Amino acid sequence: MDDDKKLTSKDFLNQLVAKHYEGALQAKAEGKPVVWATSICPQELLETMDLATVYPENHAAAIGARKGALEFIENAEGKGYSSDNCSYARVNLGYADIQKAEAQDIPMPDLLFCCSNICNTVIKWYENLSKTLQIPLILFDMPFNHTYEVPEHSIRYMRGQIEYAIGQLEDFTKRKFDYDKFGEVMELSNATCEWWKKATDWAKVIPSPLNGFDMFNYMAMIVCMRGNADGHRLFKMWHDELEAKAKAGLGPWNSAEEQYRVMWDGIACWPHLSTTFKALKKYGINMVTSTYPDSWNVRYEKNDLSGMAKAYASNYANRNLDYDEDNVVRLVKDFSLDGIVYHSNRSCKLMDFRQYEIQRRVEAATGIPSVVFDGDQTDPRAFSEAQYETRIQALVEMMEENKEARRKG
Amino acid sequence: MMSNAVSIIQELEAIALSPYKSVMRTMKETGKEAIGCFPIYAPEELIYAAGMLPVGMWGGDTELKLADRYLQTFCCSIMRSNIEYSMKGAYDMLKAVIIPTFCDTLKCICENWKVSAPRIPVIPMVYPQNRRIDAGFVYMTEELERVRGALEEISEKPITDAMLEDAFAVYEAYRSAMREFVSVAAEHPEMINARSRHLIIKAAYFSDKKAYTDKINKLTEALKKESVKPFPGIKVVATGLIAEPPALLDIFAKNNVAIAADDLAQESRQFRALSRKSGNVIQRLAWRIVDQQGCTFLYEVEKTRGQMLIEQVRNTGSKGVVVFMMKFCDPEEFDYPIYKEELERAGIPVLYLETEQQMDSFAQIETRVQSFAEMLA
Amino acid sequence: MYLGIDIGSTSTKAALIDGKANLVAQKVVNIGTGTNGLELVLAELLHEAGLTMEDVVYTVATGYGRLLCDVADKQITEISCHAKGVSYLVSGTGTIIDIGGQDSKVIRLDPLGRVANFAMNEKCAAGTGRFLEVMGRVLGCKLDELSDLAGASTREIQISSVCTVFAESEVISQLSMGTRREDVAKGALVSIAKRVAGLCKRVGVEPKVVMTGGVALNKNMVEAMSRELKEDVQAAPYTQAVGAIGAALFAMEAAEKKENNNG
Repeated sequence: MDDDKKLTSKDFLNQLVAKHYEGALQAKAEGKPVVWATSICPQELLETMDLATVYPENHAAAIGARKGALEFIENAEGKGYSSDNCSYARVNLGYADIQKAEAQDIPMPDLLFCCSNICNTVIKWYENLSKTLQIPLILFDMPFNHTYEVPEHSIRYMRGQIEYAIGQLEDFTKRKFDYDKFGEVMELSNATCEWWKKATDWAKVIPSPLNGFDMFNYMAMIVCMRGNADGHRLFKMWHDELEAKAKAGLGPWNSAEEQYRVMWDGIACWPHLSTTFKALKKYGINMVTSTYPDSWNVRYEKNDLSGMAKAYASNYANRNLDYDEDNVVRLVKDFSLDGIVYHSNRSCKLMDFRQYEIQRRVEAATGIPSVVFDGDQTDPRAFSEAQYETRIQALVEMMEENKEARRKG
Repeated sequence: MMSNAVSIIQELEAIALSPYKSVMRTMKETGKEAIGCFPIYAPEELIYAAGMLPVGMWGGDTELKLADRYLQTFCCSIMRSNIEYSMKGAYDMLKAVIIPTFCDTLKCICENWKVSAPRIPVIPMVYPQNRRIDAGFVYMTEELERVRGALEEISEKPITDAMLEDAFAVYEAYRSAMREFVSVAAEHPEMINARSRHLIIKAAYFSDKKAYTDKINKLTEALKKESVKPFPGIKVVATGLIAEPPALLDIFAKNNVAIAADDLAQESRQFRALSRKSGNVIQRLAWRIVDQQGCTFLYEVEKTRGQMLIEQVRNTGSKGVVVFMMKFCDPEEFDYPIYKEELERAGIPVLYLETEQQMDSFAQIETRVQSFAEMLA
Repeated sequence: MYLGIDIGSTSTKAALIDGKANLVAQKVVNIGTGTNGLELVLAELLHEAGLTMEDVVYTVATGYGRLLCDVADKQITEISCHAKGVSYLVSGTGTIIDIGGQDSKVIRLDPLGRVANFAMNEKCAAGTGRFLEVMGRVLGCKLDELSDLAGASTREIQISSVCTVFAESEVISQLSMGTRREDVAKGALVSIAKRVAGLCKRVGVEPKVVMTGGVALNKNMVEAMSRELKEDVQAAPYTQAVGAIGAALFAMEAAEKKENNNG
């Protein structure tokens, strides 16, 4: 296995991305059904049923990062979608019409699989796909948690939906659901999520061996591969590399030292990924964490459907302000953060409309500075480089003042 | 008779135009304490059964300054207005508010409310989207029971099943009166123009439902006695969240465009679904949500809204559909491309108007409405 | 004689037609509603035609200032008037694009030249003449110079921001990075064309596509529009006065109808 030794997790990641999309296109070509699913859905059911699945959010992000989003956005807006609607949705709805992207093609779906733990917007988006493409939709509705913990009756509702969905999948595939395999998939998914979490946790070390923008890349795979052996191997491999780097005292970059450690709140600005990254790196700012490591740390006991329901409902975006505050405060401490960059993302109202209050509370609890900038996850038109640069520079000045004060004691 | 109708119309319009004053007066007249109800559907019957007054909270034209503490400018103006009012103290007469979380914005508003108006307790409520499967229906009844319990704590007395039955009967009478009113009003656009129609329906949110229903019934009776006159303008069907501000509707009246039927969340969606007769009141309340169709805030994979609008247009002899699009309302914005295409395929013209509660200029809207009327004439 | 008046936000236009629908005269002054533009344009128009207001049988006003125009017998929107005017001037028109100072509109016509559907920009200034004004200010040139400037462009640059404020800062940073003014001017035209093309998609584009209004005098703008739509686009004759001509035609129809009713 000499080859295997030389293979880095980054190489493997790129192979898996290609394999993921080719596999789905191949399945379609062979007449097998294809599923489109949301990013934090109970994929265990799909994996158990061995259904080829692609994730429109991943796909839209990939198109955005390769600067191809506008064509699809304009198509969707031409049909009447508002430029204020989620840009992942606009890119995907545009793609569903054009069905050809230079950046990456995906097969058209035969089934839709939607889970509202990330927002209610996906319900509207998938409803429209179902209506336009005339294909069935399986919905997991995960009530927003206004209480600190997930309420018991919500867990029962979600468990009921998982059971109902199993029946829907049996009807769709005309096959029996294999509960033994389901157990194995659950076990593997949990193990993969654990490696994802353990890998991203290495960023707690100072300097962090992890450059957070790399995490954005690996994220695509925790979305689509956490229930299979490839994904498990990838995240274990990534973890081991980060561990080795940390133990050798290596920082995030070869070309620069980590000066400041920040959290990035919200989704990346995919069309301006390198601009946003470079402006940070210029000042030695490493984005060491975000709310994402926990979003895919979906953990529960094998064969415990209620536990699984609860784990999926526990996503950060689906929690109340008090929980969110504690969560970010914990990140500030665990990752020794110097500051926070809040992305006021035109696409994501659910994240945005709690951001100001979280910012105030976290600042009060931790004393670290932060900035908010305007942008969008895939619409290139809603970002201003000049504004971003200025705000990052202001953040550096504030972080430096804090450091100075600490040095003086 | 005519003068009777006119005086009821004027009275209800005045109620709708001064929500604060109207609520204070209704509280005084009935001796009831008030509970605020956020859009889209709040279980008003539970509040009424508790001997309290449900009050609608659909924003308003207030200058937005304080709300910027919590919300970016791309938040829907109804919710920005509500947060603004809460911070100004305009809601201090409320004993509590119920905030159902039909969209991502409402989820956040519910959380922000805890800080923006700490003196007014919030009762969050989740209506299940998967409401047509057993687990969803059970969940909905559990949520309704939870809210019932919260209201019992606030009113400090139990809400008995008998009280629930009485309240449900009051609301059934109200809903049936409204269904009749909108159908009779469609025959009399010369008396009930677009603005009047909206204000008359809106007045219910600030009145005691029983007293309000009496007034509506009287108005409908008076209208029925009027002869049906030929209308020199055009009739349309209105859809969207809310048809406001009223100055917008003045433009309709001025151009002789009458609203013959609506699918507005603030108006007909509140009373168009018929109730089932079986089950206890909690179950009947849940069935009402299960049976509601074509509402963007309730998951519906078939998306029947377009077809429903087409039927409304045909049944009322309308010439087109007017979309009142509340800017930044994601669910409404997502429905639009779907029903727009269906309407166009059916040959029904659509007028799209983007609205906010704080509008300073109506010149462009005036051009659009007049052009639409010219196009259909 | 029948008079059409179009009072816009930045200019006032007037046209006269005779009883056989022949265009007698048309005039444009570059000041809009709330000024003495109406008096000026009428004086010039009547002078050229050698007529007085006494000769005018019926007047229709259109444009933003139409409702405040007391010399008019009737007010009709610019949507209907542009449709009327263009159908008269360019037969077989399917789609009209008018980029105005405050509003941009796209009007789709039926085979008889009547309005079948229309769309207008929303509150935001993107995709209107106002956006070009802001760009002109940053580039230090007048609106009508923008076209020539864009004509000398050698490199395609993208102005991606939709928001006018963001676009302004985007352009400033482009200029400070040494991007040529000509290329920025071209970028601004393409940006507007993209927004308006979006509006076109909402109503559906039918050939022939005709542009009206002052912006249609800008050759490079018409060309950019054509490229975005992948359709031939032509500027209407009397492009600024199209609305006024349409209004005059409506005046003639209204007068005839009135006469028939009286007779």
